[in-house]
Amino acid sequence: MKKIIYGLVGFVALLSLSSCGYNGIVQLDEQVQSQWAQVQNVYQRRSDLIPNLVNTVKGAANFEKSTLVEVMEARAKATSVTVDPSKLSPESIQKFQSAQGNLSQSLGRLLVAVENYPQLKSNQNFLELQSQLEGTENRITVERQRFNEITQAYNAKIRSFPDNLTASMFGFQKKGYFQAEANAQKAPQVQF
Amino acid sequence: MLSKPKKLICLLWLIFVSHLSFAQTFPEKPDHLVTDYTNTLSGQQAALLERKLVAFDDSTSTQIAVVIIKSLDGYDVADYGVRLAQKWGIGGKKNNNGILLLVSLGDHKITIQTGYGVEGALPDAIARRIIENEIKPSFKEGNYYQGLEQGTDALMSYTKGEYKNDQPRKRNAGSNRGLFLIILIIIVIVIISRINKGGGGSQVIGGGGQTSPFWWILLGSMLGGRGSNGGSWGGGSSNDGGDFGGFGGGGFGGGGASGDW
Repeated sequence: MKKIIYGLVGFVALLSLSSCGYNGIVQLDEQVQSQWAQVQNVYQRRSDLIPNLVNTVKGAANFEKSTLVEVMEARAKATSVTVDPSKLSPESIQKFQSAQGNLSQSLGRLLVAVENYPQLKSNQNFLELQSQLEGTENRITVERQRFNEITQAYNAKIRSFPDNLTASMFGFQKKGYFQAEANAQKAPQVQF
Repeated sequence: MLSKPKKLICLLWLIFVSHLSFAQTFPEKPDHLVTDYTNTLSGQQAALLERKLVAFDDSTSTQIAVVIIKSLDGYDVADYGVRLAQKWGIGGKKNNNGILLLVSLGDHKITIQTGYGVEGALPDAIARRIIENEIKPSFKEGNYYQGLEQGTDALMSYTKGEYKNDQPRKRNAGSNRGLFLIILIIIVIVIISRINKGGGGSQVIGGGGQTSPFWWILLGSMLGGRGSNGGSWGGGSSNDGGDFGGFGGGGFGGGGASGDW
């Protein structure tokens, strides 16, 4: 009789434990995915701003073409790299980040070059585009940081006992982080 | 090159440390909208600003927090602003309609951070314009109050149509205020009726064409009473008698603009 009761208690405990773990993982998984959508949103926002910026710069000053072409090419490349939210592996995030990082660099070069054109720096249209771009870069920083935080919570959960058992049983896999920018610049072969 | 587990430990440690410093650097959530940690604003100025912003919060539910700090502790002003705003939860939880106007006196930096729900009404370019046109000129002259006053006016003018406060807060001081309003209305009516009579007749107030000082004293004491029930201005804080209902947990995503003067 006692054995049966113990067995029953043990079974219920196991059941509740594993189901808790499973639901917890699913929830975190969903949060990671929705945070990823936010990250993509803000990157999209940036890439939407770029044509306006390039046109304004082109129209207001006799600007060297090569810098502008470079920005537009980097933009095209960056927008071609998208990541399926259900496959946020370290490798795919790495790829995404390096494409966007290249765009950041050529944008940075553009903004440095603009320093030589006083008439641009007093152009209201350009200044407002620039402030929108700055705001967007801030948004990117914020959403990326939040993505890393929630991903860290997810990764920690699927690797700690007893949730790792549930995770491996249902095929939850470790997700990738955004690296610090310094790494991203000499990127592709760096893996986590 | 570090091995995988070592890297992970480093990362976790970094995250841990960043949380620690996070907790130390950022002040706790205050119970008012205007928070001056530098005592730059006089008590009266802070109270005026606070009253304006609380009234705006009451009618629109959009919360504009004004914070003056000494130093950013090495943070970028926008980064500091968004972390502070997120930590305090300025704005409502549902609409995310909070705005933070942060001034760091030591660094001469200023930022406007917009909550997710305000980004439409107050795009970054507008935030920049407000900093450049409304705030900076006064700050350059050292007139901080005027800059904040104009800046918040501009913020309010852009965001006033966006949300409505559909759940007005119940006030503790509600009955007081109601009474005050009624008395005020009575006084106004009496004065108007006296003016209409050309200064003649009525003995209620004392006759003779002049309003008895009694009424002015009464009015003054009531107004004074409201102003002073905030108590002390010490400890680097300012408040207006706790009329503000608290931050609602609004979210911030880094929108807004920054500048320096």
